[in-house]
Amino acid sequence: MVRVKNRYLVVNILYPASSPAARAGEAVPELLQFHAPTPDAFHTGQLVRLVREGIAELFGDYGMGMANRTLKVTYWSPATSTAIIRCPREHYEMVWAALTFTTKLPRPIDVPVVFKVVRVSGTIRKAEEEVIRRAKGIITRAREVEKGRKDVIVEGVVRAVEKRAEPDAVLAQVDEGEESESESDSE
Amino acid sequence: MFHDLNVPWTSAKELQRAVVFLDELGYDVVALTHSYGGRLPADLTSPVPNPLPFPTPSRLRILRRCNIFLTDAASNFRIPQLQQQYDLIAARPTDEKTLQQACQSLDVDIISLDLSQKFEKHFKFPMLGTAISRGVKIELCYGQAILSTDSTAKRNVISNATQLIRVTRGRGLIMSSEAKSVLGLRAPSDVMNLASVWGLGLERGKDALTKEPRSVVEFARLKRQSYKGIVDIVYGGEKPPVQEKVVDGKAKKGQSKDQKRKAQDSLDTTPAQSGEEKTVSKRQMKKNKKTKLDAEV
Repeated sequence: MVRVKNRYLVVNILYPASSPAARAGEAVPELLQFHAPTPDAFHTGQLVRLVREGIAELFGDYGMGMANRTLKVTYWSPATSTAIIRCPREHYEMVWAALTFTTKLPRPIDVPVVFKVVRVSGTIRKAEEEVIRRAKGIITRAREVEKGRKDVIVEGVVRAVEKRAEPDAVLAQVDEGEESESESDSE
Repeated sequence: MFHDLNVPWTSAKELQRAVVFLDELGYDVVALTHSYGGRLPADLTSPVPNPLPFPTPSRLRILRRCNIFLTDAASNFRIPQLQQQYDLIAARPTDEKTLQQACQSLDVDIISLDLSQKFEKHFKFPMLGTAISRGVKIELCYGQAILSTDSTAKRNVISNATQLIRVTRGRGLIMSSEAKSVLGLRAPSDVMNLASVWGLGLERGKDALTKEPRSVVEFARLKRQSYKGIVDIVYGGEKPPVQEKVVDGKAKKGQSKDQKRKAQDSLDTTPAQSGEEKTVSKRQMKKNKKTKLDAEV
């Protein structure tokens, strides 16, 4: 049977600008500020409109016609600022580029943001698994911090890098493969 | 390892956020840029303090870079002095003539064009090709395309970037942000996708963030530290004195062996001579015998 092929983009919303809580003088770690929850006023309908406007701005009517066919937000979690966006397989790059060019959330909220696509998947199952994996990672990290212990994995990586970070010892550094994996998985 | 080789140095407070955010996005090497416009000042020391006035993530490697605006081809850019102060030197040509100068003769590491303006002439491969073959990379900055509200600037960035990609055939390109604020920074994968939308392809896009900038950084480092830019000693090793003696003894042994060999050689050569002598003597003996026999007969 012939199916309509889609791509599922797992998107994280990051908040690089300082949040109101931090401005008020509370000591919030910067890592948490970047991964702040999204305001409740922002819902899936607005996200779709945001993406559509981005495509219309970058690619015009052609892009709208091509990408709009199956464009949909299939999952949205304001707490972790994570979304899964479905789009046609041939034109997922346009949707991705539109997300890259977005700089802030629409009018009533008006917060500067950075959209980061963390995974491109061909099936919604794999996209959901990725979301769950990331959420689990955040929870374990938060628990470690609560207990007062340091993040074991991150600390290990830091130590390993520091060991290598003699002034000019750059000759043996390994490329991080994560990004390319997410690319290859998209096939 | 992802590189972002162009983060403008603004103020310490804003930049701290940018640096932490870059680390969060997954970059490993970041270059802080200071731009020189017009005439160079007498004092060339970098305004970027060393060490930085804020704590930096330990994973991140921070470099210092300067941009020189090439407004007049005749002026002296004092690049050797700049090389002592900065890790990377980039040239920003403003017109055709200075672009040619930067491509052909100027001893810089990166050529960074202001993509938001319109160029009168098309880029030509022979000119940019010489730069690439010399190891000078050409930089595409996406920050202005993302941040500017002016749509003509955005259009110019996209058209110039695609032109450069076409002319250089995807070789020797670097993608970097040149973001005036934190909002213009994007994750490496997003930049790679942008490159592929602009016609560079995902693989080349990845090279533009990993391989090419790394080669620039290492090449610049070698230029500054190594002997004549060719030989660099990474770890020379240590020589405890005791071991040296042993080495000396070995050398002596080797020498004595050599001498022996020489002696052997001389022996090898002498037998022929001595053999000749022997034969001669045998002949002589035979002759003697004959003469003796003759005498007896």
